[in-house]
Amino acid sequence: MSVRFDNPDRAEPWAQRHWDLRAAGNFIGGGTGTGFLALAAIVVLAGSKTVLPFIVIGLGFVALGLFCVWLEIGRMFRAANVLFHPQTSWMTREALVAAPLFGVGLFAIWFDDRMALVATAAVGLAFLYCQARILQASKGIPAWRHPLVVPLIIATGLAEGAGLMGVIGWFVVDDRFYMQFLPPLFAVLLVARFLVWRTYIRRLGREGAPLGTLAVLRHYQPMIFGFGHLAPFVLFLMGYVISGRSALLSVMLGAAMALVGGWLIKVVLITQAAYNQGFQLPKIPVRGIGMPRPGAKPGWSEP
Amino acid sequence: MTKYGIVADLRRCVGCQTCTAACRHANATPPGVQWRKVLDIETGEYPDVQRTFLPVGCMHCDDPPCMHVCPSTATRKRDDGIVVILYELCIGCAYCAVACPYQARFKIQERTLAYVEGATKNEDTRFDPAMLGVAQKCTFCVDRIDDGLAKGLKPGVDPEATPACVNSCIAGALHFGNVDDKDSNVSRYLAKTEWSRMHEELETGPNIYYVWDEKR
Amino acid sequence: MAPDGASAREVKRVPTYCYQCVAGPELLTVKVVDGVATEVEPNFKSADVHPANGKICVKAFGLVQKLYNPHRITTPMKRTNPKKGKDQDPGFVPISWDEALDLIAAKLNELAAKGKVNEQGMPRIAASFGGGGTPTQYMGTFPSFLGAWGPVDFSFGSGQGVKCTHSEHLYGEFWHRAFTVCPDTPYAKLIVSFGANVEASGGVCAVWRHAEARGRGARRIQIEPHLSVTGATSSKWIPIRPRTDPAFMFAMIHAILFEHPRDRLDIPFLKHRSSSPYLVGPNGFFLRDPASGKPLMWDSRLDRPVLFDAADVDPALEGTFRVAKAYELGADGQRWDHADVLGATSFTKMVEHLRQYTPEWAAKICDVPAESIRFVASEYLDAACVGQTIEIEGRTLPLRPVSVQLGKTVNNGWGGYDTCWSRTMLAVLIGGLETPGGTLGTTVRLNRPADNKQASAKPGPDGFMDYPMNPTDKENWIGMPQVRNANRTLIPLVANSPWSQALGPTHLAWLFQQETPPEWPQMQPPDLWFVYRTNPAISFWDTPTISAVMAKFPFTVCFAFTRDETNHMADILLPDCTDMEGLQLIRIGGTKYVEQFWHHQGVALRQPVVPPMEGARDFTWVSTELAKRTGLLASYNTYISRGAAGIPLRGPNYDYTLAPDVAYSHEDIWDRSCKAASMEISEGKEERDLAWFKENGFLVKSFSQLDWYLYPTMVERNMRFELPYQERLKRIGLELGNRLHEKNIHWWDAQLEEYAALPEWQDFPAKWENVVVKMGGTPEEYPFWLLTSRSMQFSWGNNVAIQMIREMARNMRGVGGVLMNATRAKEMGIAEGDLVEVRSPLRATKGRVALAQGIRPDTLLIIAQFDHWATPFAKDFESPSLNTVMPISLDLTDSTGSGADVTRVAIKKIGGAR
Repeated sequence: MSVRFDNPDRAEPWAQRHWDLRAAGNFIGGGTGTGFLALAAIVVLAGSKTVLPFIVIGLGFVALGLFCVWLEIGRMFRAANVLFHPQTSWMTREALVAAPLFGVGLFAIWFDDRMALVATAAVGLAFLYCQARILQASKGIPAWRHPLVVPLIIATGLAEGAGLMGVIGWFVVDDRFYMQFLPPLFAVLLVARFLVWRTYIRRLGREGAPLGTLAVLRHYQPMIFGFGHLAPFVLFLMGYVISGRSALLSVMLGAAMALVGGWLIKVVLITQAAYNQGFQLPKIPVRGIGMPRPGAKPGWSEP
Repeated sequence: MTKYGIVADLRRCVGCQTCTAACRHANATPPGVQWRKVLDIETGEYPDVQRTFLPVGCMHCDDPPCMHVCPSTATRKRDDGIVVILYELCIGCAYCAVACPYQARFKIQERTLAYVEGATKNEDTRFDPAMLGVAQKCTFCVDRIDDGLAKGLKPGVDPEATPACVNSCIAGALHFGNVDDKDSNVSRYLAKTEWSRMHEELETGPNIYYVWDEKR
Repeated sequence: MAPDGASAREVKRVPTYCYQCVAGPELLTVKVVDGVATEVEPNFKSADVHPANGKICVKAFGLVQKLYNPHRITTPMKRTNPKKGKDQDPGFVPISWDEALDLIAAKLNELAAKGKVNEQGMPRIAASFGGGGTPTQYMGTFPSFLGAWGPVDFSFGSGQGVKCTHSEHLYGEFWHRAFTVCPDTPYAKLIVSFGANVEASGGVCAVWRHAEARGRGARRIQIEPHLSVTGATSSKWIPIRPRTDPAFMFAMIHAILFEHPRDRLDIPFLKHRSSSPYLVGPNGFFLRDPASGKPLMWDSRLDRPVLFDAADVDPALEGTFRVAKAYELGADGQRWDHADVLGATSFTKMVEHLRQYTPEWAAKICDVPAESIRFVASEYLDAACVGQTIEIEGRTLPLRPVSVQLGKTVNNGWGGYDTCWSRTMLAVLIGGLETPGGTLGTTVRLNRPADNKQASAKPGPDGFMDYPMNPTDKENWIGMPQVRNANRTLIPLVANSPWSQALGPTHLAWLFQQETPPEWPQMQPPDLWFVYRTNPAISFWDTPTISAVMAKFPFTVCFAFTRDETNHMADILLPDCTDMEGLQLIRIGGTKYVEQFWHHQGVALRQPVVPPMEGARDFTWVSTELAKRTGLLASYNTYISRGAAGIPLRGPNYDYTLAPDVAYSHEDIWDRSCKAASMEISEGKEERDLAWFKENGFLVKSFSQLDWYLYPTMVERNMRFELPYQERLKRIGLELGNRLHEKNIHWWDAQLEEYAALPEWQDFPAKWENVVVKMGGTPEEYPFWLLTSRSMQFSWGNNVAIQMIREMARNMRGVGGVLMNATRAKEMGIAEGDLVEVRSPLRATKGRVALAQGIRPDTLLIIAQFDHWATPFAKDFESPSLNTVMPISLDLTDSTGSGADVTRVAIKKIGGAR
């Protein structure tokens, strides 16, 4: 056996290890699925009669996400206990919203009801909001508890949904005509996500955050910007100006990149940048005689 | 009213980890799971350097974020301020662990042993499968307190009713008692000293009070 | 929540003690659940009698894992591979206890038949026990067995001389019966500490008392190259260049003598309780009265010389005086008769001697601003409270709440004499030696009786305390060593108590095994070597060489808890009952090592908290069996009855003496000890048997605080502390030189130079640099000083195989790695966690770097002692060790036979962080 050499000076924040890719999977599935449903609602309101594939794909993602988180919890067979604390826990609320989400969704499929799809998408947005609030209530992770996490999770959820729609919507929709407004909407959602993301990072840096968090976010920033935003944006524009088969391909490629870019944001946010609060030394104490000295908050950026 | 808290006099702590060891014994936590531990923090630059020892653990917050986020209501706050976990309710989602700004919570999925060769007799005697896959943290040795109170003892004064870490402290740095009682040992200590609490800005109302000077 | 709270379980708490380190004992209880030891707790019942409120240190919490350790040796073992060495598999095979004891007894009987000493006059059996005598607290009646056997060579030791506070042991005991020196912390206002790491090595008493002291505003100034836990909790840290502490201290004394008025000193103390007024003649010896031979002083009232013990005189503290008739007594009876001779007082000699050592001079050497030195000197005087008194138990005594403490590496090796003298002199100057608040001795080990400091301070020559020096005169000098480290031959100060051999320059025993000086026959290895609670293959220096030497020992018997690097060379392994399985009664309280001075004294029982592991045997049982099988039972029983196991079994009105030819059970022996001890403590009023002690754990009576201090005894017996002027040491040094030179021995000449009446600064750092050159390097190639430091979790504990201890220690910075200055590391391209090689001219050790600001840029630190290759668990640490790279060299051995844990090294990155 080997004895681990670790730095025991753990006063500074370290990357949390409680939630890993499985938890990120929940945020990815939930965001992408509910975002997709929101886009599907727009398509349906625009006149499409497609219901079943949209619901199956959207709720499929949500279900996949929930399955991921079920894999993460320590006591799988007590999963139902998650419902016990609606008074304050956004995790309970997320679980509680999941029930009508799937209920209305199944209703929409059963009755092939377009308005029920729209209702499903509305419940999906509530689900997405719960997910955003789950993160924000995590007081121990400065990168999560920041108020901009809520718009960020919602913006990226919608953008992911748009991305997914841009990848497979063409194949399941009854008439592609109903989707012609999608490329500009994609572009708008992308810009919105990027602005929230950039503001979020800037404000974290400005207001003080664990150095590890900032380093990780800044490390991934060029990739998230270039791959997840700039390239798709250009591809959407191209899809708008050119025509025919290559226009569709261009939009599909851009959509895929926007989708993966959103997933990347979540993986980074949940598994990489989630440095915990760390510890704070309130004051350097007096030893025998003298004056106390200012304390320290190791591993934090200055606000 | 009763609100239990710990006073940690940073002037006295020497970082010996006796409290850490006592906690590991009292609570039979597995290797590496230190509900109580002492950090060794260096500040300044050579040659103007200071080193401070900072006992940390669950702060039994007045407004515990871990409790609010807990979806199963396993985490609860008792009337005496102690934040406890009902292990049989906990689903092990670790949401509390990321909600805690004091890194006080642990979750062990599989049994870990001191030696790879197998469990020692004491590990077998004390192994409790109920502790696997659920959140765990400092309980202020709640069983000792309850048993002690049942015997008419006073927590923080009588060792049998006092958390193991406090009992063990060889520097007299740790004190336990009812901070809501102005005549208690801890309240009297706090009345004559300068102190503050960790991450006050997060408004959790933590109940470890760090003393760093005499009141001037 | 403690999962063992289930009501069906049977729970009990068993009282016992922990004495894993010299700063013990600590009284504890073990919670036993359904027959399994689970939790260690302080014995809360001892809170009222124990100086640290009954607390126990972190090491005690490792004992449960020790008890149930999967690596324990579970049965006696016999070596089957006759070849010994690190690379040899010992081929241990299990044998029965009967076979093991028969093998050992056969060997012993064979040796007894041959003669218990070999052809060279050295004991055929040797024994090494761990540091500070702690094994005695665990080995039951084994000392009685060794006593019954007769000559035993303890000179191999386990690191004594290089790992203890060796110079302090010798000079401390010489000057104030202080085998260990400590501040009177309960009254201290200021402690100036040169590297004394009491927060790691002083046990719970030190930690508790120093915390109390800080609580009431006492200051500690820590002067050391790295910021230890003690430095951390001090009010000021002064990072001094390694090995330059004497210069700092000389300059402190200089500042006190030359930059402050004389009346800041304790003039009456200097005049009447020290040798300051003694007149020194032109040859450097005291001027003596021709009629009585007594040293002379100058009476300033009558303006004439007077005998040192004359009543009602006012001796001149300073000045040079003309004496009509006097003589000086030099070495080997050399005598100078003087008429009309000038004599300067010892004090004046000291003042003149220290004139050269200014703070500016020291600043350059120590790399510390002169103003810092002046500041410490001035603080020291301010805190001394000269003139103040305190009433203790109805007696008025001087209160001098200031003292100087020395760390292990500061008082060992070259410069040790200088630092010990300076610290003691600083106490004498302000009258703070052995007075409340001041500098105290807490243990007597070289003088007799060892259990009573006051009784051990007997009047000797010239108004000083007597001291059992080893002879240096022509007739009595022991020219042929009697044991393998030649302690009595080379070290007069080490005396001849039961402790002297193991205290002596133990590294010389290992050195001489490799190559004995030509003047003596090549020293033979012991025919049989007993080892218990020590691992010199790790804890000594140049450990690979030490291992190779022990591989040549023909028959080694190790009492073994797990396999380790020393018992890798053993022929027989014996699994004794470990800490929580054995039975023993020890004395507690009174004054003991380090800061163990109590208001109580008595005895405490160690008992099996659970039935011993099958295969393990109680040490007393083993001892009795060996005595039986070697025909020594009668003598062994007599030793026990006389008190060799701690308690004499016969007293004024009780008699539990053992019959000579009965093999008593260990329970019976300790039952008698319990009864005798309780009768002794209660002065014959109450008999408590073993069952009572098993239930109650300990029994004490009160101990007078006045016995913490030697000062009242010095006054009562009209004795003086033998400072400042070391006339006696000077004479002895000359005589020793004569003896050695008569034998044509010149390899001890550098050591002889230390026998100076007043210590002189030598370029101590250069002594280490010279060794580098001698070994073929240059100081520039090895630009760092490598130091070591204790960790509270490990020190003395023999507990490196215990996971809990490792886990606790790793919470502290640097433990298990190489601590380095972060800025210097950056310059060298070394980052946190990098794998580095630390190389001395001898060899290299490897480890991972931990960076800090709290260490000098020219210093590296490796905490504790690792580099294990056989000890289970520990061998996977990949931790470095100073011991691996530290050469054993006569050039690094001072006149007391000690060496310091420091060497010059280079550091190189050899791998990245994991």
